[in-house]
Amino acid sequence: MSSYLDKKDIQLSKNFFKKGFIIRKVSDLKSLKTLRAAIVNSLCKSLKIKMKKEKDFDKFLNEVHEIIKIKNLNDVRLNILNSINSSSEFHKKYFEVSKDLLFSLVGNELAMQTRVNLSIQLPDDSSSLLPVHSDIWSGDSPFEVVVWIPLVNCYSSKTMYILKPENYKKIHTQFKKYAGKNSSDFFKNIKKNVEWINIKFGEILIFNQSLPHGNIINSEKETRWSLNCRFKSLYSPYGDKKIGEFFKPITIRAASKIGMNYSLPNLKK
Amino acid sequence: MGERVPQHIQNQIIRKFCEINNLEYSLSASEYAMKDSYLMLEEIINEKSNLDGIVFYSLFQLPENKIYRNNIYKNIIKRKKKIFFSVENYKLSKKNDILELEEIWDVKSILPNCYKGF
Repeated sequence: MSSYLDKKDIQLSKNFFKKGFIIRKVSDLKSLKTLRAAIVNSLCKSLKIKMKKEKDFDKFLNEVHEIIKIKNLNDVRLNILNSINSSSEFHKKYFEVSKDLLFSLVGNELAMQTRVNLSIQLPDDSSSLLPVHSDIWSGDSPFEVVVWIPLVNCYSSKTMYILKPENYKKIHTQFKKYAGKNSSDFFKNIKKNVEWINIKFGEILIFNQSLPHGNIINSEKETRWSLNCRFKSLYSPYGDKKIGEFFKPITIRAASKIGMNYSLPNLKK
Repeated sequence: MGERVPQHIQNQIIRKFCEINNLEYSLSASEYAMKDSYLMLEEIINEKSNLDGIVFYSLFQLPENKIYRNNIYKNIIKRKKKIFFSVENYKLSKKNDILELEEIWDVKSILPNCYKGF
């Protein structure tokens, strides 16, 4: 590791390597609250109900399963997604919430996913499951990280899990034993080695998406709400998800702009 | 930029894009296959028709030459038309939109010179 990184960055990187994720308190709580208010606003519009007061957001989101039926969940989710993704301000706030950690772990010239994702996991809903997977196995680049933002407290089955890096090495070398099996078989095998993310609203999770992760049926009495979005160093390799169609440049620096637009003078007539 | 998607698939994507964005799809045009040909594009931009704009399959179907590309943007804006890019979901209708599109072009153009391995 480069010794030019400062102590704080080195420690953060060490933790990231070791655990495969980091959780930190959000320094820009105001931006985070703006994100949550935008979601609640869009949700209320979608449900055709009066906008809630901020002090009631937590209860409202946690108990939303009392007014949303599972069969209507995807329509609600899509309405919210279209609303938040049509707002460049929402994307900017999302970045601002995670900026310090991204600059430490990824770099300061970044590409951001063009669409922020939203997960809503109602209690006992089996239709919103994300079976165990590594994002790299489905076309993402290993140079990306996921910024995962809970809008409510997430714990036990109302959260996501991630395989510990120390256990991934073995899985990687023995992967051929899963030939002909399915992702449930795979999960059964790794279940004892995954870490269940315990995170509160006001905190942010950045994780290594190359490590197998997923969720299970939420058997808690509350609904899980979380946002996720990928970031990568702008000039690092892209997988199937390319610049323009999946990622957008968000922090191009002056020297790069000069370089990209430079051409040597031409001596030929 | 080395991208190729069959024409009928491109048309399906463009039609869907128009549907989602409430745009009236009036006609389909295909560029000549010769390298660096933009004859059809020039024809559509410059004709005095009732077309409000052009929907491209992708941003990267524009000319690779930056000066030529910028002239196209300016011509579109001058004629009060719009251009849309289905895959990237971008729109150009005013001068400020150019910067965002060109940043993507700039990054895409230098990526072949960046580290590629994984």
